[in-house]
Amino acid sequence: MNIQSCVEVCNEWDIVSARQLGRNMAKELGFGNVDQARITTAISELARNIYLYAGNGKICIEAAEKMGKRGLKIIATDNGPGIKDIRKVMEDGYTTSGGLGAGLPGVKRLMDEFMIDSVVGSGTEIIATKWLR
Amino acid sequence: MRIPILKLHEYLLITIQVELDDQTALQFQEDLLNKIHDTGAKGVVIDLTSVDMIDSFIAKVLGDVVRMSKLMGAQVVLTGIQPAVAITLIDLGISMREVPTALDLEQGLDKLRLELEG
Amino acid sequence: MNAETMNVIQMKRSRIKELWEQELGGFKTETSAMTPHMYNELNREFLDLLMNHVSLGDISEDGTLERFFDKVLRANMPLEYITQGLQTYRRIILEVVLEEDLNKDVAIEIYREVDYWMDPILNKVVTNSSRLWERTVSIQKSALLELSAPLIPVFQHISVMPLIGTIDTERAKLIMENLLEGVIQYRSQVVLIDITGVPVVDTMVAHHIIQAADAVRLLGSTCILVGIRPEIAQTIVSLGIDLSLFPTRSTLQKGMEQALDITNQQIVKEK
Repeated sequence: MNIQSCVEVCNEWDIVSARQLGRNMAKELGFGNVDQARITTAISELARNIYLYAGNGKICIEAAEKMGKRGLKIIATDNGPGIKDIRKVMEDGYTTSGGLGAGLPGVKRLMDEFMIDSVVGSGTEIIATKWLR
Repeated sequence: MRIPILKLHEYLLITIQVELDDQTALQFQEDLLNKIHDTGAKGVVIDLTSVDMIDSFIAKVLGDVVRMSKLMGAQVVLTGIQPAVAITLIDLGISMREVPTALDLEQGLDKLRLELEG
Repeated sequence: MNAETMNVIQMKRSRIKELWEQELGGFKTETSAMTPHMYNELNREFLDLLMNHVSLGDISEDGTLERFFDKVLRANMPLEYITQGLQTYRRIILEVVLEEDLNKDVAIEIYREVDYWMDPILNKVVTNSSRLWERTVSIQKSALLELSAPLIPVFQHISVMPLIGTIDTERAKLIMENLLEGVIQYRSQVVLIDITGVPVVDTMVAHHIIQAADAVRLLGSTCILVGIRPEIAQTIVSLGIDLSLFPTRSTLQKGMEQALDITNQQIVKEK
């Protein structure tokens, strides 16, 4: 039984709501101070990507469980243009928006598991999970 | 939402106490540069003790603010960055090596005074 | 096992015993501090239990065999002793059975019986012992984490973190958190990280140390890396690792002098 909470992302304010939702859920699940910050930051990065590149999409957060481990799962989906070269966006320092280029590889480092699936022309889905220590 | 900027002699003091959204961050950047221009301040302390998250966008805005202020002749020190925030920044691969830092407001002011006067 | 097989085994008890002592007598143990007498006793007990167990099914049915294996492992005997013992027993029984004048079908049936009896026991032994080791490993792992990296305040605004042992990613995370929490708690302006006790500094370890130093700097404190032995300096440079971004010193003492300097303190000798 998994309760999922979602935030639609279509403007800058939604980025703030998404990360507040993430912080609350992380706190509830019993994550420590540092991991709460990691999760919140990862959500912020993912939500900003949606806002900047896809225009709109959504961030869903749910409790995760695997082999006795408990954790938090972030699912970021959009129907944007998709990513042409996934390997390239996963390189440190790669940016098309003039940001710091920390985006996706940064999210991957903040979280424990990271999966990305993107189809050019139809959208992107990113699933990232953090396990309780 | 606007972040208040206080003036203390030739320094400007800012304590960020709200959750920073993009718009507030950019507004702050503009306000601060205008204030530096109006007051001719030589030093700025931005205290981040109550900030519990800095993502790559806010980090970029902060880094930019430091560089822009420097161009206008004001030295900026960031203070009070929390351990959890520092760890996430490092995870993101952002080390802000060119940005001066101090443990708290008081030490930030000391640092500025030392650099500007001594 | 069926009655006929058990019958043969019970009847041939002394022959089995004779062969058992011959075979297992040669098993040398290096890890266990057992006298020959104790070892013979152990072998005898092992055989007795196996003989009694023939009539039972699962290893944990009366628990005696399971307890015996547990005892053997806790006495630091290798798992090999048990597996080899079980295999020897199987071989002996087959040998003994074949010495009887049985027709082919009966012999094959007995062979099958013994196999079916033995395999679950072997499986259970391996499972039990690997569980025992897993538990030991995880206990040791948490013990190691507890040993990790305290931050020690030394003078006002100056703290030291001595690192001892290998640094892996998990430990590096813990070290980083301890370090940063400590910097805030003691309001340390300078932190000395002492790597005298770190045996090898490779690219990975250096990377963790650089990250820790960067994080400390973000908080507004300064990190000095001390305890750099000549061979460490050599490996760092030959690996092309750049540590020039933050101060380093060869010894804790030299680092402490610099830390006092940074915090405008000095140690004076009283006349």
